[in-house]
Amino acid sequence: MNSVFAFVLAVVAAVLGYYWYARYFDQKVIVADPKRATPATMYMDGVDFIPTSQHVLFGYQFKSIAALGPVLGPIIAVQWGWLPALLWILAGTFFIGWIHDYSSAIIGMRNQGETFGALTYKLISPRGRVILLSFMYFYLLLIMAAFASIVAGMLKGMSSVPFAILVLMAVGVGAGLLIYRRRMDLILVTVVMVALSLVAIWLGTIVKIPGGFNQWVIFCLIFSYIGAVLPIWAYTQPINYISFYLVTLGMLGGFLGILVGRPQFTVPAFTQFNIGLGPLWPILFVTIACGAISGWHSLVSSAGTARQLEKETHARYVAGGAMFMEMALATLALIIAAATFANFSAYREMFGKLGAGGVFAHGLSALMSRIGIPSELGSAYAGAMLVILALTIMQLVVRFMRIAMAEIAGDAVPILGNVYVGALIACVLAFILTVTGTWSYIWVLFGGSNQLMAGLALMLVTIWLAREGKNWRFTFFPMVFMMVTTIAALGITVYRVVGNVGKLQAGTLAPPAGQTLSMAIGGNVITALIGAFLIVAALILAYDGLQAWNAACGKPAQAGTAATPGDD
Amino acid sequence: MTGKQAGEPHRDDKERPSSGSGLLQAVREFIYGMAAHDMTRYALKTRSSMEHLFILITMGDMLGVPILPPYYSMRLLPYVVPQVATWKRRMLREKDLMDAIF
Repeated sequence: MNSVFAFVLAVVAAVLGYYWYARYFDQKVIVADPKRATPATMYMDGVDFIPTSQHVLFGYQFKSIAALGPVLGPIIAVQWGWLPALLWILAGTFFIGWIHDYSSAIIGMRNQGETFGALTYKLISPRGRVILLSFMYFYLLLIMAAFASIVAGMLKGMSSVPFAILVLMAVGVGAGLLIYRRRMDLILVTVVMVALSLVAIWLGTIVKIPGGFNQWVIFCLIFSYIGAVLPIWAYTQPINYISFYLVTLGMLGGFLGILVGRPQFTVPAFTQFNIGLGPLWPILFVTIACGAISGWHSLVSSAGTARQLEKETHARYVAGGAMFMEMALATLALIIAAATFANFSAYREMFGKLGAGGVFAHGLSALMSRIGIPSELGSAYAGAMLVILALTIMQLVVRFMRIAMAEIAGDAVPILGNVYVGALIACVLAFILTVTGTWSYIWVLFGGSNQLMAGLALMLVTIWLAREGKNWRFTFFPMVFMMVTTIAALGITVYRVVGNVGKLQAGTLAPPAGQTLSMAIGGNVITALIGAFLIVAALILAYDGLQAWNAACGKPAQAGTAATPGDD
Repeated sequence: MTGKQAGEPHRDDKERPSSGSGLLQAVREFIYGMAAHDMTRYALKTRSSMEHLFILITMGDMLGVPILPPYYSMRLLPYVVPQVATWKRRMLREKDLMDAIF
């Protein structure tokens, strides 16, 4: 099949989803009212609660939700064939993804802009909030481990990339100083710094910096540690700002490459049900998270966007629209993996050699070569772009982890509330998990924790809809699907990891390259423990959620919130 | 510090011109939203944290926090009055990890 056709399918699904399903849900079930006061207008404080243009928010929402997840998930999932991956991206977004993002924004707006922690406390149970916060810490840890592993693998295999990353660090810090301290013109600084970064990427093809996997893991963690302890304006923000332009240019190059080259899919539509990662159901559905549905989006929609929406009717455009746009990004990633290699063996060879990051770099450079960018430069650019995407998130994640650590344990053990100690602990934990764990299992756990968060968000929305006397079935069935699928995926992963421990001890399984036997056993045990924790946390939340839902179904609609007739 | 500080992107829909220039404006706002909106929010948050800390020190008794003799508070009061409601709401609102993230 031609890749342009896949893209057209994505556009059709997006148009139908946005103009038919989303409009119906928005108008008939939620009954979004442009005249109802939103938290942004009621509590306008000029900081958290601030009425913002819907186009600005659309950009903000899209940037906040679209990172490495929608890019890498489809690239990995191509191992089952392109058809299951494409179907899940389209159907997942159409039936679950947008409604999850949109209703998370709505529930935040209709509840005074409260965060999910407060909403969980109010709608599910007090212990639900504690579980959610602990759950968040492990979720962030898994992001760190998954991304550090990808970046280290990339930097080890592509020695043309590190130079550009080092220059980007300097460029970012320089941009921060020029913008905030020297107060220079933003556009001028942007143009100069982006140009410098592009030159650095080109120079990287000449100045190659070799290094081992563990060395690059440490580099990533130092990069993130600095970002977590320095003032955000001095390091993290300007680096992320300059990176944004590099990433956007790369994505545009990829889209143009598809339109110009119109490549055919070269991998099979379907390979087999069981592959090395696991069975298609449920593992595919957690492997592709962000491109179809992701719990992270609910956090952005509720705590970030819901407090800035000026009108309720903007939510469909901002939250729903951004999700459909991310679906297009995931489709691009799928095309990169499925249509730019000579055949499936070439894809598998690259995946085995450099991992998903290598596949992305090779594929994007192949697409960019269709618009005249030399292959070597394109490959360095795509590699740098992927590393940048990961590092910009990692430095924020370490920052969040140290805040979470202070929040969870800072009162009981004051030293854990210290900025430097909290960030150090986050980096050390991430290092241990990265160098001892197996990447494929970590990725599944990361996807699983993400999808559990999505299940929880849908549960909250379902309970809220039931309490309001609205039709809760729109989110109930997606919630059941997500919870069952994700718990099954985590269960299978834990079972396999525990099995690996036995095999390693018995000597029937060799430790992965670069790991000793004790490291491999330790890594598998840690992975199994995290997976087990996620399952237990999900089951407790599901139990509490069921109780709350039962109570909500037996309760009359709350005063002032009329039930929606005939919305079935 | 209240109101629509980052005024240029926070315009009401009705004020926006239609057709081609409207589309251009929407694209500009979209790019601003992706590239710099979170930077603006962080800057506003940083400023508001400093301002609120200052008000807490000088006007803490409004929240039941005992402070210095109120001479200076009285002198500052006229400047602080516009912010009192916002300040109280921000100080007393329950916050958690998600507030720190977004």
